[in-house]
Amino acid sequence: MRERLRKALVRIGGMAAKETLHIRRDPRTLYLALGMPVLMLFLFGYGVSFDVDRVPIAVADLDRTESSRALVDALTASREMVSIGAASPGEAERLFRSGAALAVLVVPEGYARDVATGKRTRVQLLVDGADAVIANQLLAKADGLVRAETRRLAGPGLAGREPPLQVKVWTRYNPGARSALFMVPGLAAYLLAIGAVLLTALTVAGEWERGSMEQLFASPVGRLQIVLGKLLPYLVLGMLQLLLVLAFGVVAFDLPIRGDVALVFLVGLFFLVGMLGQGLLISVVAKNQLVATQAGALSAMLPSLLLSGMLVPIQNMPVPLQLLSRIVPARYLVQALRGVLLKGNGLDVLWPELAALAAFAVVILGIATARFQRRLA
Amino acid sequence: MTAPPPSPSARVQLAAVFRKEVRQTIRDRRVMFLLMVAPLIQTVVLGFAVDFEVDRVPAVVVDRDGSAESREHARRLLADGTLRRVGAVASVAAAEEELDDGRAAAAVVLPEGMAADLAAGRPAEVQVILDGTDPNRANVAGGAVARYFGEEGEELARARLEAAGVRPPSQIEIVPRVAFNPSLRTPPYMIPGIAAMLLLIVTTIVTAMGLSREREMGTLEQVLVTPIRPLLLLVGKMAPFVVIGFVDVMLLMGAGAWIFGVPLRGNPAVLVTGTILYLMTTLGMGLLISTVSSSQQQSFLGGFLFALPAILLSGVMTPIRSMPDWLQAVTLANPVRYYAEVMRTTLMRGGGFADLWPQLLALLLLGGAILATATLRFRKRHA
Repeated sequence: MRERLRKALVRIGGMAAKETLHIRRDPRTLYLALGMPVLMLFLFGYGVSFDVDRVPIAVADLDRTESSRALVDALTASREMVSIGAASPGEAERLFRSGAALAVLVVPEGYARDVATGKRTRVQLLVDGADAVIANQLLAKADGLVRAETRRLAGPGLAGREPPLQVKVWTRYNPGARSALFMVPGLAAYLLAIGAVLLTALTVAGEWERGSMEQLFASPVGRLQIVLGKLLPYLVLGMLQLLLVLAFGVVAFDLPIRGDVALVFLVGLFFLVGMLGQGLLISVVAKNQLVATQAGALSAMLPSLLLSGMLVPIQNMPVPLQLLSRIVPARYLVQALRGVLLKGNGLDVLWPELAALAAFAVVILGIATARFQRRLA
Repeated sequence: MTAPPPSPSARVQLAAVFRKEVRQTIRDRRVMFLLMVAPLIQTVVLGFAVDFEVDRVPAVVVDRDGSAESREHARRLLADGTLRRVGAVASVAAAEEELDDGRAAAAVVLPEGMAADLAAGRPAEVQVILDGTDPNRANVAGGAVARYFGEEGEELARARLEAAGVRPPSQIEIVPRVAFNPSLRTPPYMIPGIAAMLLLIVTTIVTAMGLSREREMGTLEQVLVTPIRPLLLLVGKMAPFVVIGFVDVMLLMGAGAWIFGVPLRGNPAVLVTGTILYLMTTLGMGLLISTVSSSQQQSFLGGFLFALPAILLSGVMTPIRSMPDWLQAVTLANPVRYYAEVMRTTLMRGGGFADLWPQLLALLLLGGAILATATLRFRKRHA
């Protein structure tokens, strides 16, 4: 019994050594696999934010009084909006149509008079709704600024007193509202999914394509041992990627690790095993690298990006997609990573995520090995 | 001694390569499925999934006042749909636990004696505790609470001034009018961007891997020893993908219009021109990547290394204006950015050639440069 186990381990080790040699022979693949996470983190961390900044707006001030200018100044003094010129309504409309201005502010004639007499006055804001994200933020921002202007105009009568109802907002876990802290855990899941699924799918499909898989079958190494040996190096590579992403996040973006680091790697390990199993299954079904890539992109990359809650909150999705997201392992990884890193959650909170990842890994590896055994049998 | 037979004309060569490539591509049904049907499925799923509008944020209410008035405030605050009540807890500590465990993302704490304070004219302070892991969600949730109580406060202040016989000051109101997408739905905006994204992934990676595969199998060498000129070979190889790309765009636009109500307000000719020029850049990029790769695995990773930043920096997901200046400069060399602009402006804003010629020109220049570099490298490698 012990002898058989020793033999099996030697054979698995041999397969793993062969696969490692493949990876080392082709250092470019290795660089790409390890360089990509750093590049992505860099771009995401520095470049990607949903914050609205310096949106060009055209101003049509029909009143041309001191009060109307004060209102325009109040709106455009913020960083969010920049006036690209006062103009007639026709000119503003032209700027808007051409896309040079994303909004048009129209201050009506008689604005100053209305303000002075205490009447309700209306200013118009025409917003380009083609980009709904910008439009929403712009509307909210303009609303707030105009409200502030109202209070300023009210003078000591209203502004001097304390407002009767105050709201104190206290943001936990990420008080600076930094996108990077939100993105890094999600990005880790995404990069691990791509690396593990696609690299495995490609390497195994490559063996089918070149016919070297038959040669492996002819050796005394068992099917299961081939699978384990082939997957082991990629498991190590995946863990290295996770380490790299976390280290980069901590160094470059001050990503906090409030929970247990060991838990992070445990969750990562469970996730990776499942992803490697998925890659294996794809390669067994596809047999061909081109098909394997596209199938991998369809089944791993896109769900990990869009159904994992990495970019878009899952609660906002329609119910069928919410259900679909339950079989996307990245969903559990993203949730667990955010929990451990940002909230300091422990196993007591995150065990359902861990259990889901384990269940996925067991099921997918079971199917993949079964299909693998049947091929050529 | 006889002279070698003259090479067939360029047209005949091209037609032959084209025929071979089309046959080879459509022979593999699975590849065809992945090229035509998969993008369609993805568009539909993504169109439903990507909705940046934040609503139904799970919230708990800590009503420490317990008066009829505080209950009414909680009810009206939750009525606008931004927050969704998932429970009521008795203490702030319990609310924090809900946040820790992820059952709620916001907690609204109504202070003890709120109703009495307001009645007596004393200020009351409402506390909001937010889960900041998702800054966007936190922002929207906090904004909704602040807006509700801000409005309520103003009403109260006005009522008090009036009661004291003071004329309340003027109130400025903003009247928003949203053009092009009045209900501010995400799909009409995202679908054109998603189309640009999928077209890139399909065409660039498939071209790069396809050429690497032929090189790996040695069939590329066999074709190159025939009298066919390398340039014609490349053109013939890309032609089927131009057709596939076109069919994909039409399918995606059809699905977008039918399922998500994406309009086509502009000139379709602009869309066609833009698509051809864009495919020139993506196919050229695939060709270029294959010339620097030695295996399919490398081609795939190379294609990916190009595709990911290109998508991120295209303005499809996040506004380019929010990026730092140096990164905005980088996006000027990104074909996806221009194609996304062409798509969005044509479909949503009804733009024509007069509005979009700079983007089309940029695509033409980029495509020409990429294709020229790729052809040169290909010729050098297989000379």
